[in-house]
Amino acid sequence: MWKYIVAFVAFAGLALWLLTKAGGDIDMGGERHEVPAATHADEKAPKK
Amino acid sequence: MATAIDGANRPMTAEERKVIFASSLGTVFEWYDFYLYGSLAAVIAKQFFSGLDPTSAYIFALLAFAAGFLVRPFGALVFGRLGDMIGRKYTFLITILIMGSATFIVGCLPNYASIGVAAPIILIVLRMLQGLALGGEYGGAATYVAEHSPHGRRGLYTSWIQTTATLGLFLSLIVILLTREFTGAEFDTWGWRIPFLVSIFLLAVSVWIRLSMNESPAFAKMKSEGKVSKAPLTESFGEWKNLKIVILALLGLTAGQAVVWYTGQFYALFFMTSIAKVDAKTANLLIAASLVIGTPFFIFFGWLSDKIGRKLIIMAGCLIAALSYFTLFPALLNYANPALAAAHAKSKVTVASDASSCSFQGSPIAREIDFKSSCDIAKRALAQSFIPYTNITAASGAAAVVKVGDKEITAPVAKLNAAGDGFDKESAVAIATFKKELAEAAKASGLLTKAEDKSMNMPMVLGILTILVIFVTMVYGPIAAMLVELFPTRIRYTSMSLPYHIGNGWFGGLLPTTAFAMVAATGDIFYGLWYPVIVALGTFVIGMLFVRETKDVDIYAKD
Repeated sequence: MWKYIVAFVAFAGLALWLLTKAGGDIDMGGERHEVPAATHADEKAPKK
Repeated sequence: MATAIDGANRPMTAEERKVIFASSLGTVFEWYDFYLYGSLAAVIAKQFFSGLDPTSAYIFALLAFAAGFLVRPFGALVFGRLGDMIGRKYTFLITILIMGSATFIVGCLPNYASIGVAAPIILIVLRMLQGLALGGEYGGAATYVAEHSPHGRRGLYTSWIQTTATLGLFLSLIVILLTREFTGAEFDTWGWRIPFLVSIFLLAVSVWIRLSMNESPAFAKMKSEGKVSKAPLTESFGEWKNLKIVILALLGLTAGQAVVWYTGQFYALFFMTSIAKVDAKTANLLIAASLVIGTPFFIFFGWLSDKIGRKLIIMAGCLIAALSYFTLFPALLNYANPALAAAHAKSKVTVASDASSCSFQGSPIAREIDFKSSCDIAKRALAQSFIPYTNITAASGAAAVVKVGDKEITAPVAKLNAAGDGFDKESAVAIATFKKELAEAAKASGLLTKAEDKSMNMPMVLGILTILVIFVTMVYGPIAAMLVELFPTRIRYTSMSLPYHIGNGWFGGLLPTTAFAMVAATGDIFYGLWYPVIVALGTFVIGMLFVRETKDVDIYAKD
């Protein structure tokens, strides 16, 4: 059991270090299967 | 079946480790792809979908939706049937070959600029093929590992499969990081292809290992005795005694497991970024860290399920999650963005509208242009910014009026353009003006305050997110073993795959859209939590009353 614990701690350490290095390169939401909502590209609010 | 019985007290053998490793490779692929497509979504959209007109883009979005919601359950039937007829080993080889090849081909696929509309069509076909193969992968992995496990350790052994989500995440992360490092500015033009191309090595290793594996002892025995099912689909779903268990597995196990999983990982991320307004980078880091910290609990609960029972742990996970969500999520908001939580308590927003003109915005395939009434536009704008509001009934036919503090803003009614693929120019401008005025009023009241790192209680946020992941591990750790033990060997692959994919694809997959629609309808930013709470409680009740404990089941007894 201790081998698993050591392996996990090492893995978690490496993983967390990688996460901090990754910056914005990660998306935990994964792949989307929804239909994109916005379809009115010409929409623009007039400036006040 | 000497290898599979009475092995509870000996350590895992090298052969068993190999079985678990080989079986888990497919789900590593699944998760590697899942996070790759998520992290590279912007690049892929630019490369393959940027030249499409709105109607074509909508059709492709519908097909992508179908890949997740329809193709996977269909794949469960196709490969489940195959697995029960020709064996686990060869079915396993086919599914991983399809998955791995499809991923690799995406890396070679010419983009829209090169081959036009053929590019997104091929991409969607590849996603469909992957969806099909995935439908057969999890059930195969669970069945194969469980049928190799000694009696009394199936929970522990199969729980390793669930840890592949974390492994797949970090594999994708490492590959993307290294590729960005080496390709620099070229990443967006051709470097993004490398993470897909390198999957060929993972595929080669997977096929090599799976080729060297033996057929599962349970299936091999059944085959040698000539007892293999000739019609697994008919046996699984055409005979009430088995169909009843399939339905119970869906409603009494996987539906609750799915919503607890989706809430703990995906809804939590959505809540952090959209409702608590934490920046995406911080939110993703915190969710990923909570997943890393929570990962050993998959194994722990798998192991524990061998001791005290699977049903007890899964049901406890559903119940505790359902009872605690309405405490944990408001606490998450308070710790992540205390200024916003204070603004919610102080600033009151109302929507006065004719209720008959308001629709329930719960269709997962709806487009923005499907919501044209004044009420829908008002509520959609508020819900998209996650501004809580109270509904007031207005006179019949009256336009919806949003009141933020003392400011009243009337929502427009929209009309479509001649082509029917967008709002007409006048409506588009009116909607944008309405949203702009609403945003200014909301901002002045502090209702759009973004979370700041210095005011965020990071340890408490991470603690709550980790608790949510631990709920996931409670329901997910023992689920594979339990599903396997519910069905006899001759129809096991078919029977367990379908409820797993319908539970996760439909009950879990519809969570984001349904929760959004519930928030939009009521104005209560926590109202969407009723969806997982009701489904998890439903699973708890059905599971407690009708699903039997399986940890002591002899999976060979009915062979």
